Amino acid sequence: MSTGIRSHEPLAEHVGMGQVAIARSPKTLTAVLGSCVGLALYHPRLKLGGLAHVVLPLSNGSSAQPPGKYADTALEFLLRQLGSQGAQARELIAKVAGGACMFASAGPLQIGEENVRVTLRLLQAAGIPISTQDLGGTKGRRITFDLSNGQMIIQSVNQAPLVI
Amino acid sequence: METNALSAGPQSCSLLPVMRQLLLSATQDASVAMSRWTDGLICLALEEVCEIPLERVCEELNICDQTLVMVVLSLRPPLAGELILNFDEPNARQLAYLLAGCEPNLGGEWSELERSALMETGNILGCAYVNALSRLIDRELIPTAPYFVCDFGASVLQQALIVQAMHSNSAVVARTGFFREETRLAWHVLFLPSPALQKAMEAALHSHMSRWGKGRSNTFGATENPRHDRPCSTTPIGQETCD
Repeated sequence: MSTGIRSHEPLAEHVGMGQVAIARSPKTLTAVLGSCVGLALYHPRLKLGGLAHVVLPLSNGSSAQPPGKYADTALEFLLRQLGSQGAQARELIAKVAGGACMFASAGPLQIGEENVRVTLRLLQAAGIPISTQDLGGTKGRRITFDLSNGQMIIQSVNQAPLVI
Repeated sequence: METNALSAGPQSCSLLPVMRQLLLSATQDASVAMSRWTDGLICLALEEVCEIPLERVCEELNICDQTLVMVVLSLRPPLAGELILNFDEPNARQLAYLLAGCEPNLGGEWSELERSALMETGNILGCAYVNALSRLIDRELIPTAPYFVCDFGASVLQQALIVQAMHSNSAVVARTGFFREETRLAWHVLFLPSPALQKAMEAALHSHMSRWGKGRSNTFGATENPRHDRPCSTTPIGQETCD
């Protein structure tokens, strides 16, 4: 899909690696995360939000396709798409999850940590408050972002679900 | 597990048949090792070598949010890559029972003995695969120790794809299936070579071809498959080796 935006009928929509989805209540957006970061922005009054499945920290100017692949292009894309639907950046809140280190021998490149660090820095620079986060560790996460209330449900194997 | 018809990206059109040919040979060696390890019960066969857009890789490989048991071996740079042996839980418990007599305890903690049995399987299989590949491309490949993980399949696959994602918007993946006699098992090995390793494989095959003549399509002596040279094909390939 050329734009990377997925918008359709089923109530639950899955967001794959590098994708961005925009949706309104009552839809939910889901993703399965390892070292990737799920960056969710939500507009409480409009019950409108978006979820980016960020794979890598910075695009370094490369034209990223799909737009959610890098943290910087993902945030820019989310803000543009949400803005086009009436959501001002100053009214948005962010929820962030993921950034795990799945392998003990992950080598010198701790990509999960780097994804987290850059995503948080970019949100801070954009002036978007981070309402809650669940980051790092060594476990995968299945996240469900509910546009009806802005909650994010986080499931990990052999752990009780967490709602943030 | 059913296989899907996958759409190829343009980047690796010429590379996929090359990889396939090399991996057929490596899979044969791994199959022999696996057969020895399991007293002739289990063998394996290369199913497909494909290129998939990053955003679709998990769904195309049918590895989404189900919990899988995986043994991961990483190849150290510069010729990096990831080898992931994955099972569903019942199959993993069954293999541990077969190898170490661990009474299956579905849903329970993984005992040290079960983990050891599975990691040793990954190690034997992975080393046979990597050694064969190393010999075929005449380059040293250095695997890490095997790592046991029980988690969402997609979460593990994501991290294994990071090096490829740094260079491309698509992933090159080789998938190998397992068989017990004529029955397909819900086990797979995914091999994800880094771009550097993909290039080394391509160079190795071109070198062999120039030495032996371009007319010889199967320079590594792997089981021939008439479909191997279909350009950009990612259609699942049937069973090709089962020693």
